[in-house]
Order: sequence, then C-alpha cells, then structure tokens
Amino acid sequence: MKNFLTLSVTSFVFSTVLWVLWHFVDTHVLFLAGKGGFFYLPHAARVLCVVYFGYKAIPGLYLGELVGPYALDPGIYSFSLFIPSLISVMSVPFALTMLNSLGLTLGHTRSSPLNRRNYKHILLITFISAGFNALLVNLYMSRNNLSFPNAMTDIEQVYRFFVGDFLGTVVVFILLAMLLIPVLRQARN
Amino acid sequence: MKEFYKNIGDALAMLDGLEQDLNIRHFTPNELKVFYTIIIRAAYNEHGSNITDIVENSGMSRSTVYKTLKKLSTEGIIQLHQSEEDGRESLVVLNS
Repeated sequence: MKNFLTLSVTSFVFSTVLWVLWHFVDTHVLFLAGKGGFFYLPHAARVLCVVYFGYKAIPGLYLGELVGPYALDPGIYSFSLFIPSLISVMSVPFALTMLNSLGLTLGHTRSSPLNRRNYKHILLITFISAGFNALLVNLYMSRNNLSFPNAMTDIEQVYRFFVGDFLGTVVVFILLAMLLIPVLRQARN
Repeated sequence: MKEFYKNIGDALAMLDGLEQDLNIRHFTPNELKVFYTIIIRAAYNEHGSNITDIVENSGMSRSTVYKTLKKLSTEGIIQLHQSEEDGRESLVVLNS
C-alpha cells in the first residue's frame, strides 16, 4: 500500500509538472507558442511511469492528465477529457501488451527481450505507444465530432499527435539525462 | 519501498546509457552549469548569447566562464562568433 501511494504520488507529480512545463512553453515562449503539439512532454510521464512502476501508476497518471486542463487552466478544451485522457494513459499498456504478444517481454536484464535499462528499448515503447495514442484518441474524437481549439480532427492531427508524443518524450529524456548527470555520476562512483 | 528505489535505479540506468551515447557524461559541474545557461539563453535568443549574459546568469566568474567556453568550443559543442552589434563581445551559439 505504501509503495502504491509513493508511486501514485510520483506519477501524478511528474505528469502534472510536465504538463505545466509544456503548457508554459506552448503559451509563453515566443517562437514555440502554439507549436506545443509537436513536442508533447507529458507523454514521457506516461511511458516512464508505466514502464518503471507498472500498471499501478495508471491512477496517478490519469489524475495528472486531468488536473492540468481542469484545475490549472480550466476551459481550454470545449469537450470532456475523461475518455481521451484515459485512452492516452492506456496507450503505453497497449504498446506493452502488443510487444508482449510478439514475444518481447519487458524485463530489466540484458537477456530480457525488452530491457527497461536500455533507452533504445524505451524509445521503441514510446514509438508504438505514440502510434496507439494518435490513432485511438483521434478515432474517438472523430467518431464524436470533437476537436481541439483552432484545429481539425484529421489525418494531420494524427501525425501531429504521433510526432509530438515521440519528440516530447525524447526531449524529456535528454533533459533528464543532462539534469541528472551529478546524480548519475554519484551512483556510478 | 525497496521496489520503488529499484525501479528508480533502472530508470537512472536507462538515462545513464543515453548520457553515454550523447557523450555528455564527462562534463564537470562548472561545464554543466555553463552548458545549462547557454541552453536556457538559447531559448530566448536564437542568434546566440553574449558572454556577459552567460557570466551574469551562471553566477560564475568571468575567467571560469571563458575557460569553460573555450573547452566546450574545442569539443565542438558550441561556436563563438564576433557580435555584429558590439565588436568587443563574442556570441555563443550551440552547434546543431
């Protein structure tokens, strides 16, 4: 129970912080304003938390997905986010299930087909989950005639979601790798 | 709780591999500080940041910043250009 609470709080805080950072860059940084769709940072929280904490991270992540748009900047979306957010969070478990069914099970040793200590394997999970997220969220939106402000739910949006989730995650990974250099150095010594 | 730290350890190992492939693990704390400052400044000025700004924002002495910039330049991480507006200033640009 203590472990569940710890990883739920970690997932929630990580997801919310990335959303706030992304929203700030998308609305306040001059040359990046309005282009946030091409580097959606919070997807990194979905990938990292589900890969490292397992499915127990899903409630914290889901709450984190909803807090940004509903509590921190209410009214930015004109439709309910409960189902699209759930699909987005579930895109990583979908990717892991698909890879698992192909015999690529997630482990943490060199002999594991998917090693969670290898960033290239994590990028593969990111790539596939970004695809699931882009397809399923836009399918849901298109079936329900929903759209984001100043955007149409079309194939371009599917592409933007896919690229945005992947690039956003890569940016977060690089930032974390750089920010944690002192920690990593200490861990190595 | 032990499991939580083990998971965080795995995540750090993943980032360690990325850091190794990006070739940034040999940075000293001073180099990191200057490097972060250049990146943050780059977000506001795509034409490059001048050294005075980097000195002010990094909180380090001018000579340390100069020494660090020289090393980063030698490693091909940044480029130093003469400012067109002020001939006495050099602009620091990140190599893409």
